[in-house]
Amino acid sequence: MIRNYFLRHAQVFFYTLGQLSRTPVATFLTVAVIGITLALPAGLYVAIENVQRVASGWEDNGQISLFLKQDLSEPAIEKLSDKIRKLPAVSWVDYVSREAALAEFKKLSGFGEALGALERNPLPPVLVVHPSTKHSRPEALQALLNDLRRYNEVELAQLDLEWVQRLYAMLDVARQGVLILTAGLAVAVLLIIGNTIRLAVLNRRDEIEIIKLIGGTNAFIRRPFLYAGTIQGLLGGILAWLLVGIGLLLLSGPVHRLASLYGSLFSLENLGFLATLALIGTGGLLGWLGSRLAVGRHLRAIEPR
Amino acid sequence: MIEFTHVFKRYPGGFDALRDINLRIEAGEMAFITGHSGAGKSTLLRLITAIERPTRGEAAVNGRNLTKLPRRRIPYFRRDIGVVFQDYKLLFDRTVYDNVALPLIVTGADDKEIPKRVRAALEMVGLLDKERMLPVTLSGGEQQRVGIARAVVNKPPLLLADEPTGNLDSKLADEILDLFLDFNNHGVTVLIATHDLHLIDRARRRVIELNHGELARDTGAKA
Repeated sequence: MIRNYFLRHAQVFFYTLGQLSRTPVATFLTVAVIGITLALPAGLYVAIENVQRVASGWEDNGQISLFLKQDLSEPAIEKLSDKIRKLPAVSWVDYVSREAALAEFKKLSGFGEALGALERNPLPPVLVVHPSTKHSRPEALQALLNDLRRYNEVELAQLDLEWVQRLYAMLDVARQGVLILTAGLAVAVLLIIGNTIRLAVLNRRDEIEIIKLIGGTNAFIRRPFLYAGTIQGLLGGILAWLLVGIGLLLLSGPVHRLASLYGSLFSLENLGFLATLALIGTGGLLGWLGSRLAVGRHLRAIEPR
Repeated sequence: MIEFTHVFKRYPGGFDALRDINLRIEAGEMAFITGHSGAGKSTLLRLITAIERPTRGEAAVNGRNLTKLPRRRIPYFRRDIGVVFQDYKLLFDRTVYDNVALPLIVTGADDKEIPKRVRAALEMVGLLDKERMLPVTLSGGEQQRVGIARAVVNKPPLLLADEPTGNLDSKLADEILDLFLDFNNHGVTVLIATHDLHLIDRARRRVIELNHGELARDTGAKA
């Protein structure tokens, strides 16, 4: 009995596959529309995840740069550095002398020659303060920042974390946007599948009438349409995954070059295993739901004459 | 098998298709329903197959009360009725074999049973050698015999036919009638709606005549 049940489902599955492959253009168009529609939010999701990954590298070293007064002598800087190093919130302190700062700037900015023309070094000496891990929370960092600002030797204290926090807030906005976009596009996929299945139902009106007359239940009549919707949804999900993969492949060269300019080994990461399953599963689920809604509505309208 | 008491069928707009029909057809009987076009023959068949429901009165088929039959039970109810149509209603994208097998697939018959029963039905109508052909390649008479094979493949106790010979010449019509007579001799209750008087004369069975939705003549079970 149960064996028969699965056998029958397998028969309908392969029958539906046969039907779909007999109209390859129509099937491909439906799958393509679903694929592109799903690839859009999936691609944005991948982009956000990658930006997040870049940012999480910076998050840990929420460091504070202290730009000191220009005319400070080396021993004075040494003394200040020692004082700060002894603060409980501080892990270690790096000293970037004016000369080192200029050398680095020359190297990275590309203004090497032009800077040589300057009579005196315009850059201030900098102390880079690394907070201890226990004090890396935003409030603790803020308190430390306020303490450091009170030193007379400090011209300007800057928390480098601020823009990371802003980036995070922006990512949250973007993520929310993707969520809204996904909801809208999910409805679009439902409508696409619904319309495809509606046409399929109308095309097979005579067949449905006959099956109703010889005692076919609604579940029996629905089954091939549900399979058609689900299969096309799954194929759309797979196509979306492929499109995202191709997009990443095309971007990976330029991104690698960009990252190497920053001395980073960063490379783009594709959807994870679970996210891929979720993408393809969403396609299948939307396909099933769209065809279920469409078939339910149109089946009732078709009665034997 | 079929019992109608004071059945009325009124369509929206006030047209009375059937008026006060009292009718009793026993299991194993064979009867013709006749009358002019629009007399209510088709409506009667539509009530028996639960495509429509009576406006008033009681109708029972196969021991089931049609006025109270829940919608979801209708498919199961129809599995005990074989129906033959004037326009055959075959599926033209499937072979003769697949057309005849359809009721078995719909009812979830055992896979090993299906070929046996399809071939038995095709043999009864004399089309065993055409099972791989598509319906369009067959003549009208052959198409109707495919329709009949499909109607009986489930071995239903009741066989209905709506103008089964309407599109056939008299020689083919006689062949079709012989098939129905044969089924009836094997115990199947047969009900044929037709205005082919030659068919009725030849069969010498019960005749139920409708006139403007009313029962005009019933020769009774023993005609």
